[in-house]
Amino acid sequence: MAFNPLDQKGIAVPDQFRNWSELNTTPYDKHTVDPYTRTRVILMNGAEVESILFSHQFARHTDHPELKRALAEGRRADAQQQRAVNGLNPGEQTPLETTIGYEQVAVDLTSWLARHEPDPYLRQALDFALLEDFDHLYRYANLYELLHGGQADEITQHLTEITPGRPTFAEHRHPNDDIRRHFETHAVDPLSRLHVMTITAAEQQTMNFYMNHGADWIEPIARGLYAEISLVEEQHVTHYESLLDPLDSWIAQWVFHEYNEVYLYWSMLQQESDRRIKTMWELHCDMEIGQLQVACDFMRRLEGREPADLLPPALPEVPVTFEPNKDYVREVLATQVDLQADGLDFVPVRELPPDHRYFIYQKTVNAGGNPSEQVIDENRAHSGRDYRDETEGDHPITDLRHVHAS
Amino acid sequence: MPTLIPTAATGARSVPATMTVVDPARTLPPEEQERFLAGTELNGPFVADLLSDMLAHERCGAQLYRSVAQRTNNPVLEERYRHFGEETVEHVAALERLITELGGDPAYVSPAARATEKAGTALLESTFLLGGSVDLMTLELVMLDAVLLAEAKDHANWSCLAAMVEDLPGGQVREALDAAVDEIEVQEDEHLRWAQDTRCRMISLQATSSPATSRSMKAEDVIARIKNLLT
Repeated sequence: MAFNPLDQKGIAVPDQFRNWSELNTTPYDKHTVDPYTRTRVILMNGAEVESILFSHQFARHTDHPELKRALAEGRRADAQQQRAVNGLNPGEQTPLETTIGYEQVAVDLTSWLARHEPDPYLRQALDFALLEDFDHLYRYANLYELLHGGQADEITQHLTEITPGRPTFAEHRHPNDDIRRHFETHAVDPLSRLHVMTITAAEQQTMNFYMNHGADWIEPIARGLYAEISLVEEQHVTHYESLLDPLDSWIAQWVFHEYNEVYLYWSMLQQESDRRIKTMWELHCDMEIGQLQVACDFMRRLEGREPADLLPPALPEVPVTFEPNKDYVREVLATQVDLQADGLDFVPVRELPPDHRYFIYQKTVNAGGNPSEQVIDENRAHSGRDYRDETEGDHPITDLRHVHAS
Repeated sequence: MPTLIPTAATGARSVPATMTVVDPARTLPPEEQERFLAGTELNGPFVADLLSDMLAHERCGAQLYRSVAQRTNNPVLEERYRHFGEETVEHVAALERLITELGGDPAYVSPAARATEKAGTALLESTFLLGGSVDLMTLELVMLDAVLLAEAKDHANWSCLAAMVEDLPGGQVREALDAAVDEIEVQEDEHLRWAQDTRCRMISLQATSSPATSRSMKAEDVIARIKNLLT
């Protein structure tokens, strides 16, 4: 049955505040958690962080007292939600184990969005970055084995394959080649808007996590790998945020943020296998509906616009779903691994002229070698092979198949 | 009911640009752009973009009037804002009819319309984003300023269209444009004149009031004073 958030009661924002005990949530057990519960926690943490940061930015562009108060109230409720969600991550789960969860989010969220994306350019943008995040999972999995003797498949539970994607060293592009075209806000399919907002939030959180946790390490190889990959994540934030149409007003962006949060919590609760966490998704969904109502009220009062005219009549029928995407990833790998960006477009790397800024930038940042290559070399030397979890057979690209240590 | 916010659900279409990508399924194809007003003396694609631009301006105007009518504390202004807002919604409908009659698509959002909408959005935002640093009396002027600026462009749009029609040979296109201009231009004259005159009256009233009274008044007294303005 169609679910229209505008028809729901939700929880009024003043009734959303919780006490410290309620916010200090009991973490999941890292040994028994469904890997896709972990990915849902990571995604929703990212969605909340994006919402909070957006609200702060909006607040810095207005001194309208009622608007500022409403933004502050909604932001505080979101900040509490973020603490409650992020608190589900257990302290015994190391930053590197959480990182592997982040990359599982990146692979299976991006793949799912791409599979359901109606716009070919936006789908191409998703596929392009998918292969880069896919490679990051492989690099971090090797770091995990090298430093801790850990097997990343114990975290991913074989739901996501672990093998090279577009090699990380090749992902470092000149900033001008990370900018993309944006959708047109009137003509865009509502599903595309939700996809772009979701992936932007997820990648931004990944960037934030890596750029802050890179300094947690003593081992230079780990510090270097986090520095290298966190900068690719910065590229991905640039890449995805450029897909958003800058035409929308501040209030329209606020409404869209709240709407997307409703969609995401509604999606998460459809699939959640952990009853306790499902209860949190339900609660937060109702809270977001309450926050959406506030944003819609300001749209009516200050912009003279009826939100129902702007928003789709119901949420998309299919919830955002975490599920294996192995065949899809393999297909994209087989057909697009050699793509690079040239300005706003994607082209095979062989078509770039030798003096293209891509190669100049590559020469600059890769001059002293790459932690992303060193981690593989060191783990091969240490473990006798690089770490992979190829559940569906050999790598689809011959050149990227197993190389054993000599 | 005319479309005040074009979306995918209302059939909105656009065209790709340097930084804009549009799903092919929602793109106005070049051949359709070229077919518009083909065989007339007009540059069809340009006029399609212009009419879309004018439509965007009317849509922004309808929102602006609805917004300021809800927020003014002056009953005279409120009544005018509501009335002109209703007329502006009629202008949206008239433009949609005109575009359809000429063989175009009123759901088309041209690049020029996007730029106009950005200006309209900023104009509307200027009436509330800094609402905490202007007093209530000034806020009334800020809203009226926005109306005046919007009406100035609106008036210029219709005057320009009227002038363009005069140079056209007779025929179906001229008749359609003539009818639209006849229906709307008089109202646009009135909207602009009213906004200019009212702004001038508001400024004069403020300029000749006692500075001590306006600075030390309580909010409820200011609202009472605003209510009685222009009566």
